[in-house]
Amino acid sequence: MALVIDIATLVLALTIAVGVSAAFLAWRDRSEPGATPLVAMLAGQSWWSVCLVFQLEASTLAEKTFWVNVSWIGVVIIPVAWLLFALEYTGRDRYITPTSVGLLSVVPAITIILAALESHHSLLYTDASLAWRFGAPLLSQTPGPWFWVIGVYTYLLGLLGAIPLFELLRSETLPFRGQSIALLVGTLAPWVSNALFLAGVIPSVGPDPTPIAFAVSGVAYLGAITRFRLLGTSPSPNRRARRLVFERLEAAAVVVDRHDYIVDMNDSAADVFGVARVAALGSPAHEWIPEYERLEGGAGHEPVTIRSGGEERPFDVTMSRIDDVHGRLLGTVYTFHDIGEYLRQQQRLEVLNRVFRHNIRTETNIISGYADLMNAGEGAAKRVQESAARIAETGEKARRITDIFDQDRGPTKPVPLADLLEKSASAVASDFPNATIAYDDTPSVAVSGVLEHVFLNLVENAAEHNTSPDPWVRIECVLDGRTVHVTVRDNGPGIDQYEREVLERGSESALEHASGLGLWLVTWATDIADGRVSFEENEPRGSAVTVSVPVLDGDAASESENSGRENRETERDPDESPAP
Amino acid sequence: MSHETPPLSGPSDSTRSTYSILSSKASAAGTRVRDALVFSSAYLACIAVVQVVIAMAVLSLSWNFAPVVVGLVTFAVYAGDRVADAETDAVSNPRQAAFARRHGDVLYVLVALAYGLAVALSVFGGPVALAVTVLPGAFWVVYAADVLPDIGARVQRLKDVFLLNTAVVALAWATTLTFLPLAFAGASVTPSALVVFAYFFLGTFVSTEIPNVRDTEGDREIGVSTLPVVVGVTRTRQALYGVTLAAGGLVVAAIVVDLLPAVAATLLIGLGYLLAVTALVGRREVTNAVTIAAECQYLVAGAVLTIVALG
Repeated sequence: MALVIDIATLVLALTIAVGVSAAFLAWRDRSEPGATPLVAMLAGQSWWSVCLVFQLEASTLAEKTFWVNVSWIGVVIIPVAWLLFALEYTGRDRYITPTSVGLLSVVPAITIILAALESHHSLLYTDASLAWRFGAPLLSQTPGPWFWVIGVYTYLLGLLGAIPLFELLRSETLPFRGQSIALLVGTLAPWVSNALFLAGVIPSVGPDPTPIAFAVSGVAYLGAITRFRLLGTSPSPNRRARRLVFERLEAAAVVVDRHDYIVDMNDSAADVFGVARVAALGSPAHEWIPEYERLEGGAGHEPVTIRSGGEERPFDVTMSRIDDVHGRLLGTVYTFHDIGEYLRQQQRLEVLNRVFRHNIRTETNIISGYADLMNAGEGAAKRVQESAARIAETGEKARRITDIFDQDRGPTKPVPLADLLEKSASAVASDFPNATIAYDDTPSVAVSGVLEHVFLNLVENAAEHNTSPDPWVRIECVLDGRTVHVTVRDNGPGIDQYEREVLERGSESALEHASGLGLWLVTWATDIADGRVSFEENEPRGSAVTVSVPVLDGDAASESENSGRENRETERDPDESPAP
Repeated sequence: MSHETPPLSGPSDSTRSTYSILSSKASAAGTRVRDALVFSSAYLACIAVVQVVIAMAVLSLSWNFAPVVVGLVTFAVYAGDRVADAETDAVSNPRQAAFARRHGDVLYVLVALAYGLAVALSVFGGPVALAVTVLPGAFWVVYAADVLPDIGARVQRLKDVFLLNTAVVALAWATTLTFLPLAFAGASVTPSALVVFAYFFLGTFVSTEIPNVRDTEGDREIGVSTLPVVVGVTRTRQALYGVTLAAGGLVVAAIVVDLLPAVAATLLIGLGYLLAVTALVGRREVTNAVTIAAECQYLVAGAVLTIVALG
């Protein structure tokens, strides 16, 4: 055979060796995105090259035509596999479905059928003949109409597959740029060769030289696999990751176009605005976003109040412009951050700071005043000691409150309610032996562990400040569905109306403030336990403070569950009985 | 007061020490080469080349690319299998599994290049040579892997099916060893070729089952049904005697009826050697050395054939 043909055969053999090797390497990583279509593409290229070798080796027109027809199997696999590879590799695999693959394969399947029946029609080739060139018989065929159909189809799929890879050329990740360059070189080489052949730049008598260019493709793909870790690292998660960040963002995010219509929103936004995404998308932004006009004009630092989940919650709003390459506005992303918790915490700290400073200042004034009178008698010294003890107590309460704030940041710990009440009652009974502490049967439920300080403070306050000659404290529990109401009732002087109003409002000022930290601790801890506190007067005298908190799932059995006590009473004087 | 003790070693000790270092280095290098040959299955590729040469000599075929192609394919399939099975082989063959794990990436690249080159060379033998070359690779894919994992179709691995597993291996190799040189030479399939095919099939069957005795525990754990797992070691040995004797009888009969030339009688030496190795099965621990000894039956036959041909 002529030297040119021998060289072509050797190059084709090299193409086959590289193509099969690359396919084997890709097959090993077939679970990686794009690996399976890549194997198919390399197999198609190798098949085409093999058929071309056999066609060159064949001596008769019938044999050569046969191998050309058989080669179509590999030829038509390549563009479909290329497109599927590009989609999968760049993370667009949601477009790859059995239906889409089936539709993409229709034209290739028709081509294979036409090639198999080539002798019965002229759709693929209108005629074929042998022509002597380079000292060997070469096949010359005139393309028919379907040849151009599959040709255009092949180039179309090739272009579609190249687009996402062109995007990667600008990737910040160096290996992806290397991968995409190698892949594009590997794909463009045979296409350019084929285009030159079809355009007549390469002599049209003789075989299509495209498979020879597969040698370049194979080397490029091998380089992409080995040098740039084509199947070791891929950009496939990127697209989905960006979408995922938007969808799973804890803050509510809404995308509004330049005409003020909602074009996208995440799940958090749907929850905050209480609307299904499908219902909101495409509708005017002001229908769902409160105070939208103010936001549009720039919300400044003022939070937006949105009624969500049955309560009004303050949101800090961030606006991010979406511009095109010319800096023209395309739309705006509004991000709503729930700052309710932040504001509550800020409010608590302000109160804590105020009360703490006020009480310390008061007590130090007292100490200072009585220190001047130390020589006046023992009474002054006693007052100094009492004042110092109150300072110490204020410091202790401040520490407890800090502990409670810490618990707000951690997971809720369910604790049996009975244990909390028994612990509080025992501790107070020990400190105030003259007071009678009694409580009813406690439901076997678990509540937040943060309430330990709540019950201890309420019982302690009721006993400590009780000026009655016959002081008593009674704890009552009522279970109402998934909420338990615990009332601490006493016959003391009661809580001042003015102080109750300050506590219920949740903030203080220099002129309006509560007397100490104890009741603030009760209010804040109950708030952290997702509950509420209410204050009432007890008839005929005293106060009744009710803490209503949700029941939690968890171990509700108290340590003394098996003691069988129906009505427990912790008292130091057995002759005294609690009020009914 | 102190004084330094003069060194006790003289020049002769220094020479001995250098010799010792060189000797240990040579020994270490030899061990590495041996490990690379054995654990990568490169030695099997050499045996396969000898097998094709035997086939070409016995069938009087002209020289062609067939031995090279078969050598490359053998290396690709066996080395690829060792890389793929590195985890499961850890129980039965820990050193080989460790080698496959340590050099897995390099081995797989060599596997890919070897198979690619084999396919490319086979194209020069024509469509039949190509088909015969692709056949072991296709068998290997079916044999060693769950095909089409991405679409969820779970094909039961042929490797797990009793007797079929060994038969598939033997069939693939007998086909390749016999028909590839025929295809390259453009020769047709004759009764002589079928005898050679049967000889290779039976011989490969025996040498494939012997390592299964060594792997009995590992295969049982992973649920692979091999002959020793199902019928026990003693009956396996007896069955392998029968298969080897059948191969010998076939060769004798073929020589008697002039299907094979008289020089083919040298194959009987290889089969006799195989019988001797098979006799160790169940009586001594089947080590890697025994397995390799069984696979070397064709080297014995090839060596005797060469001596006879040259003589």
